[in-house]
Amino acid sequence: MTRRDLLSKSYLGLGSLAFADLLCAEDGNPLAARKQHLPAKAKSCIFLFMEGGVSQMDLYDYKPMLLKYAGQQMPKAERTVGELATFSAAPNRVIPPYWKFAQHGQSGRWMSSLLPNLATCSDDLAFIHGIKVDNNNHGPAVYHTLTGSQFPGSASIGAWMTYGLGSENRDLPGFIVMGDRRGATIGGASVWGNGYLPAAYQGTLFRNGSTPIVDLTPRPGMTESAQRSELDLLNWFNTRHAAERTNTSELDARIAAYELAFRMQTKAPELVDLAQESEATKKLYGLDDAVTEGFGSQCLLARRMVERGVRFVKLLHGAGGDRWDDHGSIKERLPVHCQEIDKPIAGLLKDLKARGLLDSTLVVWASEMGRTPFDNNLVTDKPGRDHNQYGLAIWMAGGGIKPGSTFGETDDFSVRAAGDEIPLRDVHATLLRLMGLDQNRLTYLHAGRYKKLTDIGGRIIKEIIA
Amino acid sequence: MTQMNNTDKTMRTFLVSLCLSASVTAAPLDLPPTVATIFAANCGECHSEKVKTSGFSVVSADAIRLGGNKHGQAIVPGHPEQSPLVKMLKGELAPGMPMGRSLAKADIDKIEAWILSLPVEQAVKKTDWRWPFEMPSKAVPPTVRNTSWVQNPIDAFVLRKLEQAEIVPAPTATKRTLARRLHFDLIGLPPSTEELNAFLADTSPEAYEKMVDRLLTDTRYGERWGRHWLDLARYGETSGLEGDGAIGNAWRYRDWVIDAFNRNLPYNTFIIKQLGGGDEHSMTRNNYQPDPQGFVPTGFLRMAPWDRSNLVAADVRQNYLSEVTTATSSVFLGLTMGCARCHDHKYDPIPTRDYYRLQAFFQATEATGGLDVPYKDAVFAAKAKAKISELQKQLNDGPEKKELDAFEKELLAKLIAARKERSQNKEILVADLRLELRLKPQRIFTEVERQQHADVVEDANRTQDPPEQRALEANESALLVKLKKAYALPDADPAKRFESLDLEDVRFEANAKYSGKSIFSKEEKAHFGELTAKLDVYRLRMGRWNTSVLGVQVAPGPPSGPDIAPARILIRGDYRQPGEAVEPGFPSSITGNSKPAEIITDRYRQYPTRGLRLTLAKWIANKENPLTARVWVNRMWQYHFGQGIVRTTSDFGKNGDRPSHPELLDYLANRFMDDGWDIKKMHKLMVMSATYQQAADHPVLKENPKDPANRLLWKFNRRRLEAEVLRDSMLQASGRLKLEMGGPSVFPPLPADLADFARYGRNGGLMWEPNEKDEDARRRSVYIFQRRSLPLPMMANFDAIVFSESCDRRSTTTTPLQALAMMNGYLSNEESAVLANRIIKETGANISSQIRRAFEITLNREPREEEMIRFTQFAGKLDAVCRVLMNSNEFLYME
Repeated sequence: MTRRDLLSKSYLGLGSLAFADLLCAEDGNPLAARKQHLPAKAKSCIFLFMEGGVSQMDLYDYKPMLLKYAGQQMPKAERTVGELATFSAAPNRVIPPYWKFAQHGQSGRWMSSLLPNLATCSDDLAFIHGIKVDNNNHGPAVYHTLTGSQFPGSASIGAWMTYGLGSENRDLPGFIVMGDRRGATIGGASVWGNGYLPAAYQGTLFRNGSTPIVDLTPRPGMTESAQRSELDLLNWFNTRHAAERTNTSELDARIAAYELAFRMQTKAPELVDLAQESEATKKLYGLDDAVTEGFGSQCLLARRMVERGVRFVKLLHGAGGDRWDDHGSIKERLPVHCQEIDKPIAGLLKDLKARGLLDSTLVVWASEMGRTPFDNNLVTDKPGRDHNQYGLAIWMAGGGIKPGSTFGETDDFSVRAAGDEIPLRDVHATLLRLMGLDQNRLTYLHAGRYKKLTDIGGRIIKEIIA
Repeated sequence: MTQMNNTDKTMRTFLVSLCLSASVTAAPLDLPPTVATIFAANCGECHSEKVKTSGFSVVSADAIRLGGNKHGQAIVPGHPEQSPLVKMLKGELAPGMPMGRSLAKADIDKIEAWILSLPVEQAVKKTDWRWPFEMPSKAVPPTVRNTSWVQNPIDAFVLRKLEQAEIVPAPTATKRTLARRLHFDLIGLPPSTEELNAFLADTSPEAYEKMVDRLLTDTRYGERWGRHWLDLARYGETSGLEGDGAIGNAWRYRDWVIDAFNRNLPYNTFIIKQLGGGDEHSMTRNNYQPDPQGFVPTGFLRMAPWDRSNLVAADVRQNYLSEVTTATSSVFLGLTMGCARCHDHKYDPIPTRDYYRLQAFFQATEATGGLDVPYKDAVFAAKAKAKISELQKQLNDGPEKKELDAFEKELLAKLIAARKERSQNKEILVADLRLELRLKPQRIFTEVERQQHADVVEDANRTQDPPEQRALEANESALLVKLKKAYALPDADPAKRFESLDLEDVRFEANAKYSGKSIFSKEEKAHFGELTAKLDVYRLRMGRWNTSVLGVQVAPGPPSGPDIAPARILIRGDYRQPGEAVEPGFPSSITGNSKPAEIITDRYRQYPTRGLRLTLAKWIANKENPLTARVWVNRMWQYHFGQGIVRTTSDFGKNGDRPSHPELLDYLANRFMDDGWDIKKMHKLMVMSATYQQAADHPVLKENPKDPANRLLWKFNRRRLEAEVLRDSMLQASGRLKLEMGGPSVFPPLPADLADFARYGRNGGLMWEPNEKDEDARRRSVYIFQRRSLPLPMMANFDAIVFSESCDRRSTTTTPLQALAMMNGYLSNEESAVLANRIIKETGANISSQIRRAFEITLNREPREEEMIRFTQFAGKLDAVCRVLMNSNEFLYME
C-alpha cells in the first residue's frame, strides 16, 4: 500500500463521518458554537461590501504617475488590452485622482480626502492591493468575491463561517445580511446563500423596520398567549411522539427549533430597536445626517449583532444606479458614495474599539473589482473609470490583523499587481485563518467533491496577520 | 464538525506514521550538493523540515521522494518526466512551484538530470480502488439462516451481512406506516383516507403488492421521481447571472423528464435522449434531419447558470464545455472529473488529458436557444393553442387593453396639444426633440443625424451605464440647438405637422427615460406603466406557451459553417493557455486505453460534425459500461432507503464512500440491465423487499454500537419530508392541491415582505409574476417557477434552493426559520384555515368528530384517548388544531 492510498483512505474516514448527517453538536442544533480549528482572536466578522467596483486609486492606492499623465494617453498599455476585457476598445487618456492624497497615522497610510473619518483609523487597518478577481463583470465578480466562485450556487463566506463555527447566540440567526435600502444586490439571494451547505447556514436577510425577518411576526389576530398555548400543545404532542421512538436527536432538535423561533420573535425586534442607543453613539455613526443615516444605522446594527454573538454580519452598500460603478462623472459621483460610508465605518471601528470588541471582531471592507486608471473613451466631458478585475483593494481591521500593515503593490498606474498576482482565494484563505478556520479542514462533501471556499486552496497572507 | 476533524487528524497522523515506517524500504538516495542548494534556496522557506508546508520537505533525497500530502511521492527515480515535482516546477501540474514564480531552466535541468541518475525502483503493487472500473460481478444471492425473512434476493444479501454481524432486523412496519411510507416515497404525497382504508381493508397477501403496482402507474409518480432527476440535472429556469433572466422554456425539459418517468422510459434510452438528442443521422438517406422532439431532452445540456454578460467569448465557451463535461461525468458515471480540468485527479485515475478527451465530445455542440418543437401530445397542443388564442384575445381587446386604448387616446390629444403649444412658446424639451426625430418626413434633421441619435439611444438603453447616458446627453444637446433654430424660422410652420403624431408616439413618450421634463405627468406615466405591465404579463405567458424550447444543436462545420475548433488540453484549465490538441475519447480508467473513440458517422459523411455526443451517449448507456447501471441503481437505493449503498452517489471513485453491500449493488446493476433498464421494475424489487418494509424503530436496539449509521440496514431510516413533499402534503390536507400536470411554471405568492418582487410596473421587470389562475398557486411544487436568485423562502428554508450545480443528495436541516415559516407563514395558516372549514363541512359541529377527522386527514390515524382529551381541552379554534398537526414531527417525518 502506498502512502497516497493510505492518505486517501484516511480522507475517507472524514467522508464517512461527515455523512452521518451529524452536522450538529450533541443537542442537534446545527448552529451550536464550535471550536476554532486554530487559535485566533476573531470571534465575529463584519463584512462591508461595496457593490459596483470601487476605484482603488481615488481612495487608497496613491499613484503620482496618474497626475503626471493626467489627460494623456496611458503608456505601456499592452497588458491591459485583450486580457482585461473592458468596455472600451483600448485604454485611453489617464484620469488623475481629483482628490488630495496625504499620509495618515504612524503607518503613513496614503488616503485621499474622500475618506477623512476613516483616515483617522488608518493605523487600525491592514490593506491588500492588487487582488485578482476571476471575471470583469459585476454579477460573476460579486459571486466570486462573496462565495469563492464566479457562478451562483456556491456557499457564501458567511455560510462557511457559521458552518465551521456555529453561532454564539441561540436566539438569533448566526449569519445576518443587511442590503442597501435603495435596491437589491445584483447577485440576489445567492450572495448570502448556503449553496451546497445545509440550509441552516444560509444568511438571513434583515429588512428595514421593526420586523426584520420574513415570517417573524404571527398572523394578524394571533396573540402571544394564543401562540404560546399552541406551541405548548405542539410540544406535548411532539414529546410524546419522540418518547415512543429511538434515535430522536433530529426530532428533539425540531422541538427545540420551535422554542428558538418563539424567542426570536422578541429578540429580533429588540435587536433592531436603536432607541436603546445613546445620542452620542448615534451621532458617531452619522445617524443625525440624512446622507449617512442609511449605512450608519446598518453599521450600528452590525455592532449590536456582534455584541450579541452573531457570527457573521454582511452589509451591502450600493444598489441599482447608486452602485459604485463610476463609468462616468466619477468626480461628481464618487464623493457621494464615500460620504455615505465614511463616517459610519469610522464610527463602527471606533465604537467597537471603545467597547473592547475590535479585537474579537474582524471587519472586512471589499468590493467586487477595482477600476482602471483610464477613462471609457466616451464623448463626454465627465470622465469615469472602467472595470478592472486585477486591481481590487481590500482592507481589514480588528480581530487578529496586523494594524497598519500593507500587502501587495500595484504598478505605477494601479492596473494590476506589480509583483505576484494575488488571487482572491488567498484573501479568502486569510479570512478563514483569521477566524480560526483551516481552509483545508473546512470542507463539505457535495456531488462527489470536497468543496471548500478557496477551491484549489489559497495562500494565507501572513504579512497582514499579527 | 470539530470532532470529525479531530478524528480525521488522529487517523491521518496514525496512518502517516504507519506508512513512514512501511514505505522507506528502498536504499537511501543520494542528493548531490549542487541540487541540494537549488532546493534549499528556492523551496527551503516553505518546505524545510520545520515548516513542511503540505507535509513536504526538501531536507533530503528521501524526504523529496516521499513527497507531500497532496501528490504523494514527488519523484520517480529514473523518470523525471513522471515525477510530480518536475511537473510542478514546469507548471504542468498545479500549483506551479515555487509558488508565484518559476525556477530558472538551468536549475530545472539539473534537477531532471539528478532524477534521471537515480536507480529505477521496482514497480510497487498498486492497491488502487478498481471496483467501480471493473464490470459488476455476477454475484448470486447468498445463503442465509433465517430464510423465512427473505422476500426477494435483496434480502438475502442484506440478511447475510446482518447475520454475520449478529443483528436481527427490525420487524415489519405496521400497515399504516407502510402505506404512508410507500405513498411519500413513490408519489410524494400521503395516502388519502380512502386510499388508506382500502389498503387496510384488503387482507389478502397481495394487498401491499397491489398498492405498489397502483402507485407505480399513478401519474403523480413521475412528478415525484422526476423531481429527483431535476435535482441531478441542476434544473433552473433563469440564467442565474447578471439580471437572472429566464433562459427560455425550460419547463419543456421538466415535463419531458416527468413524462419519461411515467412512461417508464428505459434508463439507457433516457440517457441517450438527453446526451445525444438531435445528433443522429441516417446511414442511408440523404439530408436526414433529426426529429425536432429530440431537442427537448437535450435541455439537460443547457441547465447550468449562463453568463450572458461575459465579454470574452472564449471564456464563456470554455465555462460551458467544462460545465457539461463535469455534469455528464458526475450524473451518469458517478465520476468527479471536474478536478481534472486543472490538474490530474488526485485520487482517481483520471488524467487531465482524459478530461479534455471527454470534453471533446461536446466540441461541435452549440448551446443555441429558441428551437421550435411542436407539442407531441395532441390534447396539450390544443390546450396551448387555446391558451395562446385566449391570451391573444386579452392582448387584442381584453379589459386592460380597452382601458389602455382609451388612455392612450387621451394621452395623444394631450401630446398634440402640448407639442403645438410648446413649439410656439419656444420652450423646447428633449421630449420634443425625440418626437421631432420620429416625424416623417424629416424636415429639420439629416438622415445621418437621425441615425447617430438612434445609435446613441440604443447604446444608452442597452448598457444603462452612465458613460453612454452622457454621450446621449451630449448628442441631444447639440440637436436641441439645431431644433430651436429651426423652430425660430418663419417658414417652419411646425404646429400643423404635429397632427400627424400617433399612438406610437404616445407609447414612445410614455416609456421614454431621460432627464428633464416629460410631456406627461408622473402619474400618467405610472398609470400607463401599470397598464402595459399587465399586458406584458400576458405576453410573457404567451411566450411560455409557444413551442420554442431550450436545447443544443450541432454546429454544421465546413463547408457550410466555420471550422470546429479542436479540443485542446488547457494548462491549469485556463482558456488563455491552450496546450496539445486531443481527440474525443472515453476515460482511460474505464476503457484501459487512451485511443480515440470511434465516432458514429454516416457512410457518406454528409454531416461530419454529427454523432459525437451520440457516440458518448451510447457508450455511457451501455451494458459494457461498468458504472452507468450501478450509479443509477445506487441513486434509486438512496431515494428509497435514505442513503446509497455507496453513500457518495456522485462519486464512485477512490475518494468516495466504499459500498456497504458491493455484491448487492452488482447484483442489482446486472439485473437492472438484464431487465432492459426498466426503472419501475427496479422500484418494485426494492420496495417489495423485507429490508424496505422494516419498521423505523428497532424493538431491542435503540442504538447499535456496531453500526450506528444503519449501514447494514437493520431498520428503516426515518427522514424529514423534502420541501416539495411537505408543501404538497399541506395542500392535499386542505383539499386544495391542484393536480393539473405540466405546462409553464407557476408562482405561489411570496411572503408579504418580499412582495416588491412581484409588483407591477416595477423597474427592471417582474421577478415574480401573478398566476394565470388563482389556483395555480396551489399546484404541485415541482411546477413552481425556478428562479435562481429568488427561491421561494419556504422552499429554501427546507433545503430546496434552485440548484445551480447537480445535487445528488439534499441536506435536511432543522432551523428556527423553518419553524417561523410553519408557524407564521401564509401557507400553513391558509391551509389550516381551509382544512378547518373542510372538516366542519364534513363532520359538523361536534368537537370530537372534528379532531378525529383532523387526525385522519393529516396523520392517517385516529387520535388516542389522551390525545383526544388534550386536544379537546385546547382553547384554540379548529384551525389552530390543524396548524399544530401540520407542524408536528409526525406530519413532517416519513418513517
